[in-house]
Amino acid sequence: MRGKCAIVGLGVTEQGIGIGLEGRELRARAVDLALADAGLPRDAIDGYIRAHVAPEDLRHMGLSPNFSVSMMTGGATPVFAIVAAMALIEAGQAEVVACVYGEAQSAAAITGKPDIVSYGYGYPMLYGLLGAAATHAFHAQRHMHLYGTTSEHLGAVAVTQRDYAVARPGTLGFGKPLTLAEHQASPLITDPLRRYDCTRNTDGGVAVLVTSAGRARSLRARPVFILGAGTGHNIVNWHRGLVYENHDNVAPAKARALGQAGMTLDDIDMAQLYDPFTISPLMQLEAYGVVPEGHGGPFYAEGGARPDGAMPTNTGGGQLSAYYSTGFTGVAEAVLQLRGQAGAGQLHKAETSLVSGHGMNAGVQNTWAHACMILGRNP
Amino acid sequence: MSEQAQQKQQQHRLMAAIRQYGGDVADIPFWEGCEQGVFLLHRCNACGRHYWPASRCVEHGDHDMQWVEASGRGEVYTYTVMHRAYTPDKKDKVPFVIAVVQLREGPFYHSNIVDSAHDEVAIGMAVQVVMTPHESGLTIPQFRPADD
Repeated sequence: MRGKCAIVGLGVTEQGIGIGLEGRELRARAVDLALADAGLPRDAIDGYIRAHVAPEDLRHMGLSPNFSVSMMTGGATPVFAIVAAMALIEAGQAEVVACVYGEAQSAAAITGKPDIVSYGYGYPMLYGLLGAAATHAFHAQRHMHLYGTTSEHLGAVAVTQRDYAVARPGTLGFGKPLTLAEHQASPLITDPLRRYDCTRNTDGGVAVLVTSAGRARSLRARPVFILGAGTGHNIVNWHRGLVYENHDNVAPAKARALGQAGMTLDDIDMAQLYDPFTISPLMQLEAYGVVPEGHGGPFYAEGGARPDGAMPTNTGGGQLSAYYSTGFTGVAEAVLQLRGQAGAGQLHKAETSLVSGHGMNAGVQNTWAHACMILGRNP
Repeated sequence: MSEQAQQKQQQHRLMAAIRQYGGDVADIPFWEGCEQGVFLLHRCNACGRHYWPASRCVEHGDHDMQWVEASGRGEVYTYTVMHRAYTPDKKDKVPFVIAVVQLREGPFYHSNIVDSAHDEVAIGMAVQVVMTPHESGLTIPQFRPADD
C-alpha cells in the first residue's frame, strides 16, 4: 500500500464561532477551496464521502473493533458498505468487517414516527409529494409514455417475484400466490403504481462479514467471492435533464463491476436488483443491457426473469414479496444461491450473481445513488 | 420600522416557512419573487444555464450566479396522480396531481397541475405558472394549461 495514494488538495474554510454559514455551505466552500488548491476542475471529483457522526452500537453488542463508522447512501448502502469493507481490508485497517443493518420499521409505524416524510425532499412536499412511491411513479409514467409499458407489465414483475417467494419459507409471500388479476384489481396508490407494485416496510436485521480471500478459505462457511463492484449516481442525469427516464446511472457501475470481474453479461447467472417498486427491476434490466431499452415489460411478461428465463431476477421474492431490508435482501439471496442453500428456490446454474442497490438522493428526488457488485461461487 | 428591519422580518418569516419543508435559505429571493408574482430561476451568467433551486453551476461553480425572471412556461415531463393520503391533512385532498414541469429555460419544477381534469393531464401538455397562496404562508407556483 505504501505510496500508492496521496492527498492532492486541501480546502479549509473559515473556522470559528458564529460564522453565520450552514454546514452544507461550509462543505461546499471547502470543496471549492480544495479544487482550487489542487488545480482540478469540478468534474474531477468522482467519489464523495460525507463524514458524519451517528450513535454507535458497539457497547450494546459487546463488540471491540478498531473502528466503527456510519455510512448512508440509502438502499445502495449495503453494496457500498461491502465495497468500503474491501477497501479497508486492502488498506490494512481490518481483517473482518461487519456490514450491519437492522430496523424496526413497523415499530416506527406504531409509535407514529412519520418515516414517510424522510422520503420527501424540500419543496416538492409543498405540493404533496410524499413517499418514495410517487417519485418512482415519475419513472414509470415516463417509461409508459416512451415505450408503451403497461400496468400489466408491472403486474408481471409483481407476479414473477411472488412466485419465487411462494416457495420460500420466512418470506411475506410464502404460500400466498398472487395473480395478475389480483394485481390489476389492487387500488392505485400513486398512478400508475398499484398496491401490489409497492413494497411494505418490514422489520429485520442483516449482517454480512467481509474478509480477505485468504482468510475466507480457513473459515467454516463456504465463501462467496466479491468479483467486482461499481457505482453510479443519478445526479448526473439530473444535470442532463434525463433523470426520469433513467432509474439510476447504471452505465459506470456496470462497466467497472464487469471490468473488475473480467466478465460480460453472458457470464452472469442471476440478478438481485433493488426493488422498492415493480418499475425498478424492470428498468434496471434494461439499463444493464439484459434487454434492450423499453423491452423490460415484455421480458417479464414472457417469463424472462423466471428460473428458466434468460436472467432469473430477484429469485427469493425480492423486497416486493420477501422482506424489505433496504438492499440487504438481494445480498442475502445472492449468498444463499451461490452457496447452494436456496432450498426449493435453488437455481440449477448459480455460479455468479449481479446485486444492486439504489436509493437516497442528492438534493432532489429521483437522483438516486446506485451501487452494484458481482458475487461468485468461485474466485 | 425601518425598511431594512421590515426586509429582515420578511426574510425571517419566509425562512421559517421554507424550513418546514427542508428548504434552503439560498432560495429566499425565489420565494420573495413569488410573493410579488414573479417566477425566478437561478442563472449562471457565464454560460446561460438556468437552475432551480439555487445551485452552483456544473461548470462554473458560483462564479456568476444570478436570480433572473423566467417565462413561467413549460411542459409536463412526467406526473403522478396521488391516490394515497400519506398524512392526515391530505385525506380530503386526494386524488391530486403532482407533475414535473420542464420549464422553457430547462430546469424541472415539481408542482401541482390545476384548472385541469386529472385525465386531461398528459406528458407534453403545455402549462403556465399561476401563483397560489399556500397554508404555509408562502405563495407557491402551481401550473395550469397554457392559454396558447
